[in-house]
Amino acid sequence: MKYFLVLVCAVSMTGAVLAADHGPVFSYATPVNSEREFSFDTGIFGRNGSRGTQLSTGSGFGYGVTPHITINAFLPAMFGSGNLPESRIVSGSEWTGSGSWRFLHSVTSVGKRIESTASLGIVVPGPQQDSGVLGSLHRAPGVTGSVVTGMASRSQYLWVGGGYARFAEASHDRRPDTISWSAVYGYRPSSLRRGYDKWDYRGFAELTGEHTGGVRRGGLVLPDSSSTTLWLGPSVLAIYKNIAIEGGVQGPLFRDVSEAIYGREHMRFAINLSYLKYSSHTSSH
Amino acid sequence: MKRILATAFLLVSTVAARAEYEQVNLTVFGMDCAPCAHAIHVSMKGVPGVNTVDVDLNTGLVSIKLNPGNSAAMRQFNEAVEKNGFTHKDAQVIVRGQLSGSVRAPFLDVAGANDRYALAPLAAGTDISSLLGKTVVIDGVLPQSAKGKVSDTLRYKTIAEAR
Repeated sequence: MKYFLVLVCAVSMTGAVLAADHGPVFSYATPVNSEREFSFDTGIFGRNGSRGTQLSTGSGFGYGVTPHITINAFLPAMFGSGNLPESRIVSGSEWTGSGSWRFLHSVTSVGKRIESTASLGIVVPGPQQDSGVLGSLHRAPGVTGSVVTGMASRSQYLWVGGGYARFAEASHDRRPDTISWSAVYGYRPSSLRRGYDKWDYRGFAELTGEHTGGVRRGGLVLPDSSSTTLWLGPSVLAIYKNIAIEGGVQGPLFRDVSEAIYGREHMRFAINLSYLKYSSHTSSH
Repeated sequence: MKRILATAFLLVSTVAARAEYEQVNLTVFGMDCAPCAHAIHVSMKGVPGVNTVDVDLNTGLVSIKLNPGNSAAMRQFNEAVEKNGFTHKDAQVIVRGQLSGSVRAPFLDVAGANDRYALAPLAAGTDISSLLGKTVVIDGVLPQSAKGKVSDTLRYKTIAEAR
């Protein structure tokens, strides 16, 4: 199984990358980079719980190989500890390499498009150890995948997506499989549908959810170590030409989590800064 | 005086013989946000010979004005749209070129860009017989083409001898 995972990772070098860039901050979204476009993201993602606040910062890089295929890398750094459950919605300490393919792209009118994007990737344990139950595990790489579909227009945005992450086993330990999903609605009021040389704002309502499986330690699944949560909250995106700032906060709608193991997670928040470097390269004739 | 007249004649004849796009107004579908427009702006400015680019997000109109003496080809404008993941629709162009062929089957050769179009009038009634073999300026529409292609027919609204 380990070799299979490594092979998959080596071939695909990809992973489910949540929409930082210039979209919703917590949820899955469809946009990919333009051909030869570099994108750079950095931000702070936080999870606050009864056992402390866990913050992660990091740098994300994206490159558009074609208009519909983007490769990404995300290198996070974590500080603080919350003893919280595994999450793929809020980045942890793993390094991620991923590739996204926009396999459906239907442009229907001025300013409007319907599209679907699939991502595959690898997550590799970073140099930092997690906290709590997850911190006591031997760590191994994992693979991730996601599919998201939706529409974008000058006034409204709607994306629905889901992802799955599975980790390899290391010394009879294994991080939990994670299923994550999101639905996001975005709106730009008519007064803000302005020229591209002015600040562009839009607001989102982001609904995200995760189910993590049981934590395996020493070949045994820890009782009550699985979790299911549902989160809802607003986020705002501001863009000026090729610079974007986005921030959001989420509160729990539903929690089925063992407080004895993980404590009680109260809030998630994120602030992200994006810089997009477009290519002016054109073919000669 | 003779030298001045000769130079002036040479300049005028050079200008009259130029074959190039002067303006391209391209409708682009799929741009929803400022970075989309910025990406198009950067890509279009990267086409050699482009002077100014205006992008209107609400109408999807990309207006490109070109420098005299440019050799930009229509395919390059379409590629600039496609590489950003958008779709180009009809393009309104003002183009200068050599009128060839016959009255029934006229062609426009845009020598600087290596583009050649079959011409079709948008409305009947234009007599182009006196313009055959001359350098003309055409205001017309290039219909939407498939990805990676340029329409081979230019539907002209006006056609006049270049001055």
